[in-house]
Amino acid sequence: MLWTEKYRPQKLDDVLGNKKAIEEIEKWVESWEHGEPKKCILLIGPPGTGKTTLAHLIAVFFSDHIELNASDKRSFDIITNTIGEASASTSLFGKGKKLIILDEVDGLHGNEDRGGIRAINNIIKKGHHPMIMMANDPYSKRITSLKSKCQVITLRKVHTNSIVALLKRICVKEGIQFEEHVLRTLGKRSNGDLRSAINDLQVIAQGKNSITSKDLEIISEKDNINNIFDSVRTVLKSKNPKRIKNALRLESEPGFILEQITENIPREYEKPEEIEKAYDMVAEADMYLGRAFHTRHYGYWKYTYDLMGVGVALAKDETYKKFSRYASSTFYSKLSRNRGKRDLRDRVATKMGEKMHTSRKVAIEQFPYFEIMFEPEDLARDLADFFELDDAEVKQFRKRKIKKRKTKKVSKSKTKVNRTNSSPTKVSRKTKLSSKVTKKVDKNDFPEDSKSGNEKGNNKDHSSKSSSKDNGGSGKSEMKNKGDSGKSESKDNGKQVSLFSFK
Amino acid sequence: MNRPWVEKYRPQTLDEVVGQEHILQRLKQYVNEESMPNLMFTGPAGVGKTTTAIALAKAMLGEYWKQNFLELNASDARGIDTVRKDIKNFCRLKAVGAPFRIIFLDEVDNMTKDAQHALRREMEMYTKTSSFVLSCNYSSKIIDPIQSRCAIFRFTPIKGHHVIQRLEKIAKTENIQYTAGALESIVYFAEGDLRRAVNILQSTASMGAEITEEHVHDVVSKAKPKDVRRIVNMALDGDFMGSRDLLREVMVVQGTSGEDMITQVYQEVSKMAMDDLIGSDEYINLVEHIGEYDFRIREGANPRIQLESLLTKFLPKEKAD
Repeated sequence: MLWTEKYRPQKLDDVLGNKKAIEEIEKWVESWEHGEPKKCILLIGPPGTGKTTLAHLIAVFFSDHIELNASDKRSFDIITNTIGEASASTSLFGKGKKLIILDEVDGLHGNEDRGGIRAINNIIKKGHHPMIMMANDPYSKRITSLKSKCQVITLRKVHTNSIVALLKRICVKEGIQFEEHVLRTLGKRSNGDLRSAINDLQVIAQGKNSITSKDLEIISEKDNINNIFDSVRTVLKSKNPKRIKNALRLESEPGFILEQITENIPREYEKPEEIEKAYDMVAEADMYLGRAFHTRHYGYWKYTYDLMGVGVALAKDETYKKFSRYASSTFYSKLSRNRGKRDLRDRVATKMGEKMHTSRKVAIEQFPYFEIMFEPEDLARDLADFFELDDAEVKQFRKRKIKKRKTKKVSKSKTKVNRTNSSPTKVSRKTKLSSKVTKKVDKNDFPEDSKSGNEKGNNKDHSSKSSSKDNGGSGKSEMKNKGDSGKSESKDNGKQVSLFSFK
Repeated sequence: MNRPWVEKYRPQTLDEVVGQEHILQRLKQYVNEESMPNLMFTGPAGVGKTTTAIALAKAMLGEYWKQNFLELNASDARGIDTVRKDIKNFCRLKAVGAPFRIIFLDEVDNMTKDAQHALRREMEMYTKTSSFVLSCNYSSKIIDPIQSRCAIFRFTPIKGHHVIQRLEKIAKTENIQYTAGALESIVYFAEGDLRRAVNILQSTASMGAEITEEHVHDVVSKAKPKDVRRIVNMALDGDFMGSRDLLREVMVVQGTSGEDMITQVYQEVSKMAMDDLIGSDEYINLVEHIGEYDFRIREGANPRIQLESLLTKFLPKEKAD
């Protein structure tokens, strides 16, 4: 169960803070109970200050209540019908009227909720019904016409001390040991939003016996992700520049925000024209990111924000009246899922770049050709040696392991290899020796090779196969050792500095 | 032992470098005078900037060139601090056995402006003991103060006959058979990039048979960024999500560069136009967009975002209305 529900005040007296506002509301309720109609109430206050709680608490004094909030459509017709019904069916047994609760009236949308405000104004004019409305933004244009006709009650942010005190009470009830400063941090961080403070507490404390400052680390991250998706939703659902600009006030990097908006464009927008237009905007926003990075003139970021925010928002013809499941950019999941692959790629590219005097990027551009060159066993082996790639790194270019070097003087080379293997400390000497062996073999091969033609390939393949059968065991260990030596060398090169050819 | 031919046949002296005569003349003068200003080599990939720098160092510094030559890659060395530290450590010591020391800093255009300003200070500080050779693809990305401190040499794409000369020489030394048409098609695909030309030659040779036009085509199509046709076709069919996902797969996992991708998209589109799969109006419209995105990518935008945006241009529009 959500603690915000579990610990929701049950009486008006339990509501934290805003005592004057509560008194005002109580008076309002009393008048209605005595059959004296009063103006509608417009409750204005930041999130988590108890607007909805108050509305629900006073609902018990009425026969029943009807609630419409932002997740419902609230066009002229819908509001008129719903409320008309409510008025027609006055309860037979109740003390009187039904209470109408309209949540988030400043969120009434121009297109979607066409005429919503007009419908509300009609009801206010008639004045038959007790109605309570809630809004976050006192300066919202949408509620200016309402403000003059309603009894406006402003709720202030809940004081940090009150929040901390409540959090303490919850901890005690839940049997959680706490460090005072943790609750204080939660309280401060919530910035007067009691709901988020309780939610945060539940996130870090549920199912535990105690909470420490270490636990705080979890929620700051989670908080951020929540925020970014709220912002993405605003960008994709709204067309109001002010709201969008506000929503983009995030702590995340603009590049990250851009990535998340981009990801969800096709999840929200359906018409190809809209997707194209929106993408034009993010692409342009991205250009300014690049410019800001290269020139270090971060003033360009404002264009990024406007283009990816307002620009994307205006790309839609109309707001979609659907629920869209947003997702975090698959780019990041692909990045992390393929970390191993990319690490391998970069490692290989670094090694090759050092040998070929290029950056990793240029080396990677040449990879496709090396994939082809790594097909024939002999060339693959030589290239792997040249670039000092170990078995794992060779996988960048070919799936199969490179077959063991063919050795014509089987008995001799076998003993040599074995002897060197038995002394693992002399790694460098071993590689020297084994390369001597290969030189001999190469010399033997050469005249044959240069004859050219298909014969060459077949021959090689055949002979190397047979040789690998001949001494498979020693071959494996040889490869292993080579891998080790390769690794130790790569550490030295890890500085990224290639002092040209220290060979 | 076999080596990559790009290394095996890398020109070791200034005389062996092909295709940049006007530049080489000047450089040889510097060698004769035993002094040189700071240099900047600009030009596309694979035209010999690094090769020339190394050959110049050998000619200039003589026997002890290795000790007096520092090669750094600006895009791999993590951050300007690494670069500065390495430069500092290297420049602190006087040249031994050579008139001065040479620092070759590759891909300077990948450095941020801040880093470039820092680099400028290093260049000033060590003018007495060292000379800098900088290389970049686009000199427009280099801050003016650095440009004004360098003699700028613009390397041009290597001309076809030079590429062929080089390939013939390699083929002869390696004792491989080839047809004239094969070399010409390598020239066509390499677009003046000798490194790519040599790599195509060696990959074709590694397939074992004679080097023919057909085999070269095989290699080039194998080496092309994969799946680009599928990506484009999915977008043309209106499956944007599928197309975008595949694009990300190719770019993130295979690490194909944005430049390669967009070149390939262009080639696919022009092929489609030649085969009458798309109308000429649509073709030229797409080319306009491709050109614009190509420019943006080279200017430093995020290639993946730009390419994703390009894909939206392929989506069928009329049906939706």
